[in-house]
Amino acid sequence: MLCAVSCASSDERKTVDRASLRPVVLPDLSRVEESVQAQVRERYAVLLGKQKDPQTPDADLGKEFGEMGRLLMAAEFRDPAEASLLNAEALDPGEMRWSYYLGYLYRGKGDIVNATVAFERALQSAPNDAPTMMWLGEGALDQGRTNVAESRFAKALSLQPRSAAASYGLGRVALAQKDYARAAQHLEQALALDSTASVIHYSLAMAYRGLGDQRRAESHLQQRGTLQIRPDPLRKELDELLHSALTYEKNADVAGARGDWAEATEYLRKAVTLAPTRASPHHKLGTALFYTGDKRGAHEQFQEAVRLSPAFAQAHYALGVIHEESGDYQAAIESFSAAVKYEPVNVDARLGLANALRRSGQLAPSLSEYERILKIDPGSVRARFGYVAALIRLNRYQEASERLAEAMDLYPNEPVFARAATRLFAAAPDDRVRDGRRALAIGHELLRRQPRTLDLVETLAMASAEAGQYSEAVQWQREAIESAERAGRRDATQRLADNLERYQAGRPCRTPWRADEPIEY
Amino acid sequence: MVTGRLRGSMGPLAVALLAFSCSEHRSSGKASATSREGVEWFTDRARESGLDFVHFNGMTGAFHFPEVIPPGVALFDYDNDDDLDVFVPQGQMLGKRALSEALKQPQVPLKSRLYRNDLEIHESRAHTLRFSDVTDASGIAVHGYAMGAATGDFNNDGCVDLYVTNLDVSQLFRNNCNGTFTDVSKASRAEDRGWSVSASFVDYDRDGWLDLFVGHYVYYSIDTDKPCLHSIGSLVDYCPPSVYRPQPGRLYHNNRDETFTDVTTTAGMSREFGPALGVSTADFNGDGWIDIYVANDGAPNQLWINRHDGTFTNTGLLAGVALGADGEAKGSMGVDAADFDHDGDEDLFVTELAREGHDLYLNDGSGVFVERAATAGIRLSSLPYTGFGAAWFDFDNDGWLDILTVNGAVRHSAEALTRNEKFALQQPKQLFRNLGNGHFADVTEGAGAALRTPDVSRGAAFGDVDNDGDTDVIAANDNGPIRLLINNVGNARHWIGLRVLGRQGRDIVGARVGIVRANALTLWRRVRADGSYASASDPRVLVGLGDTAAIINKVRVEWPDGRAEEWADVPVDRYTTLKEGEGR
Repeated sequence: MLCAVSCASSDERKTVDRASLRPVVLPDLSRVEESVQAQVRERYAVLLGKQKDPQTPDADLGKEFGEMGRLLMAAEFRDPAEASLLNAEALDPGEMRWSYYLGYLYRGKGDIVNATVAFERALQSAPNDAPTMMWLGEGALDQGRTNVAESRFAKALSLQPRSAAASYGLGRVALAQKDYARAAQHLEQALALDSTASVIHYSLAMAYRGLGDQRRAESHLQQRGTLQIRPDPLRKELDELLHSALTYEKNADVAGARGDWAEATEYLRKAVTLAPTRASPHHKLGTALFYTGDKRGAHEQFQEAVRLSPAFAQAHYALGVIHEESGDYQAAIESFSAAVKYEPVNVDARLGLANALRRSGQLAPSLSEYERILKIDPGSVRARFGYVAALIRLNRYQEASERLAEAMDLYPNEPVFARAATRLFAAAPDDRVRDGRRALAIGHELLRRQPRTLDLVETLAMASAEAGQYSEAVQWQREAIESAERAGRRDATQRLADNLERYQAGRPCRTPWRADEPIEY
Repeated sequence: MVTGRLRGSMGPLAVALLAFSCSEHRSSGKASATSREGVEWFTDRARESGLDFVHFNGMTGAFHFPEVIPPGVALFDYDNDDDLDVFVPQGQMLGKRALSEALKQPQVPLKSRLYRNDLEIHESRAHTLRFSDVTDASGIAVHGYAMGAATGDFNNDGCVDLYVTNLDVSQLFRNNCNGTFTDVSKASRAEDRGWSVSASFVDYDRDGWLDLFVGHYVYYSIDTDKPCLHSIGSLVDYCPPSVYRPQPGRLYHNNRDETFTDVTTTAGMSREFGPALGVSTADFNGDGWIDIYVANDGAPNQLWINRHDGTFTNTGLLAGVALGADGEAKGSMGVDAADFDHDGDEDLFVTELAREGHDLYLNDGSGVFVERAATAGIRLSSLPYTGFGAAWFDFDNDGWLDILTVNGAVRHSAEALTRNEKFALQQPKQLFRNLGNGHFADVTEGAGAALRTPDVSRGAAFGDVDNDGDTDVIAANDNGPIRLLINNVGNARHWIGLRVLGRQGRDIVGARVGIVRANALTLWRRVRADGSYASASDPRVLVGLGDTAAIINKVRVEWPDGRAEEWADVPVDRYTTLKEGEGR
């Protein structure tokens, strides 16, 4: 009996004619990252060894072709990867992974028809594999076959009831069918299951738009992002397969976008080990460390990036941010200036430079810098605001008010300008600028649309006083004091108390911002 | 008055009020596309007709980003002789490198070129298509690394002017109405600085003068060029646009004195921008005012809705045209707007990167869209290709607008890079036939070898180059020869050709033309030269009428200023000029 079983196995091993296997020819790897070269060559050597040995069972050889295939696929050598995976399928027909990866490879080429055929084969081997079913659903969606897609995603959901991807698929099917209520239901479910997958918000917005709920639609549009639903296990394996600095960087980018900076740090440490002389992984590692709270480690990595690549503007910028955070404006200015030198259109660096100049009292140079930013990016709200803040610090109130009026026209949905304008109209020392009634009108409009913040309440007190409504001013100011006390804002209470006395005495405020009071976006 | 302008028009068929129309639906097969069996639908006749332009992108193997972006192409009648001439922008070496360092030596002298169409139509209806290079005589001297072109009569003198977009400084050439041009970039204040690719002349304020929108791509200089690595390490390839910072586009208001004023900020258009590659202007929300759609590469597209007061609001996101169906910002390149489904509004088609799939945005008439490329049958076929130039046009004159995309990748495969290939980006073109039921069929395979030939195509201009009543295509190839794809089958069916002119003799871009038919939906078309990618197309409206009988009651023109006129006796199978004020 044992012999019979053994003989039968031996027969099965020889079912595939090995001469019919597709040749898998390695591409020229000489210009590929060394770690990848080593990884590919090592795997290829194992494959050749097994292939040369006539005693290698089909399934074992198939496994080797499969591993080779997905490695080549991860390296984006699609042609040899395809050949390898087809061999794997032929030799190891019961293993769904090879058909799955073939399907995924064809999708990567934009060949949805062949991808569908391959995924169908994977499903034959593993009829209850939910991820494969979902890929078939995706393929059906690509072809506009929404009924097929729906059945695939529904089956996947029945197998994995907590699958965000399946609910997301069903939501998109419903969207394509213009069944917006059902779409919203599925998509809300998907979002509940994977709240980091910001990509879902867009489809949700379209569903609510279809339902006529513009408020919700706009809210989801504002929350939309590019983070996909977490990949299925086989795809995740593929994403992590390549021992390459760039692959680690890519995975770190995804982890960072999810806010998982610890995972990003792990990936980036590997990247730095593999490519110690490339600046980019150091810069990214610095960023990840910064977000995990390791400012010192971040600083070291940014410095290393700059050492390796002195013209690396982003690394200089990052150093500027760290210096500014620590209050070292001079060092921040130097770093931001270096970033700007190497990348003159780096708006972030210019903004950092302009803000650091302003905060360190170098107001005239900050104005020039803000102007440069607005030439590069006329839509930069922060630069526009920073410019106004610098004008105010320079006591150029008239110009500041003109700039604010223009900004309010251009950006009616940016309350920061209206808030600043209200305060300026309420308390500017320049008689030509002050306008209590206008300040009150804008302030009350802000109160209607915005949260009742300490800043706004204090400004309303100033505006009321300027309009001669001192009892209202006193009321607002008392509310502001209570609010500051509740928030533990000791920095503000003395200032607020001084102004309360002023209003009680029937005198308006003539100091829109004290010298020690930040004017910030 | 109706003025026949076409030399040698289709005599026997030119009968007023003749009855033709198309059936409302059609099948997808090759046989039904044309009655001329065995004929290739399109044939490349560039070289034999004298269009010998070969683009040069200056590549040295260093993979500088600008190399993969140009060129566009313009089809316009610069000499007012009723046929379409051709302008093609040329590249150059990037930076200070010597020409000898180029991997492929260029056609010299290296310059953007204007070709005059010397079309002859004989009594037998046969024609001889011949182009002459008139660049030097025309006075068009393009500086630097040119990208694309836009056309429009900005000074209302009845002669079409030329705007050339550039990696650095764009140029405006005023047509002197005598076969020559004058560079008025500085004097007109339309000398736009920054990397521009697509531009459009558009009368956004309905004052009868063409304003100018210039889409900007990214901030780039050879000094700050960044190497981009493939994910397997040291293989350098072309960069994605995200590596560079996008540049805001600009809107220039026509001051009616041959000068422009930059009104970008006051128009509210400086707030949101991306790396713009395509632009199409049309009235998307049906309020009678022209809006502007901007296709961005790897960033949300904008739909600038005209607020009738000189300002615009970007409604792209909520309108559903900023992103792909799943909310992904795609590598949008070419774009065109038209009423492909005969419901009277402007729908949008946008070409995208390989594996993203092109987008088909259906308008509900109010400027709200749903993306339907998958259900329409376009997505599946488009996934393997990176599309650039594209347009709605009725290649077989059956009354339904089809789509042609010219394609070419922007990044290499890992295999190509390991083989040390420097420009292995070639792809075939694609022709999608409108089946009249909301679905399209990819009919490339049957359309002839000219479409299947792989090129690195970028711009595409559409127009009836040989004036035979069907739409031809010029495809501009990056670092390769231009293609003149002559349509061999369209005029087997009936058609109506219209040039829609204002009182000053200018093509009134933005005017809507309705072919009002008895017992059939009105066919709406728009006079336009923009759209596609970095290119300018024939502003004439050519409407296919099919081959079965129905009555054309009238032609209605809705002018951009809100007025409308109608013409009752427009002949078919020939071109007719409809001049403002001469209809009813």
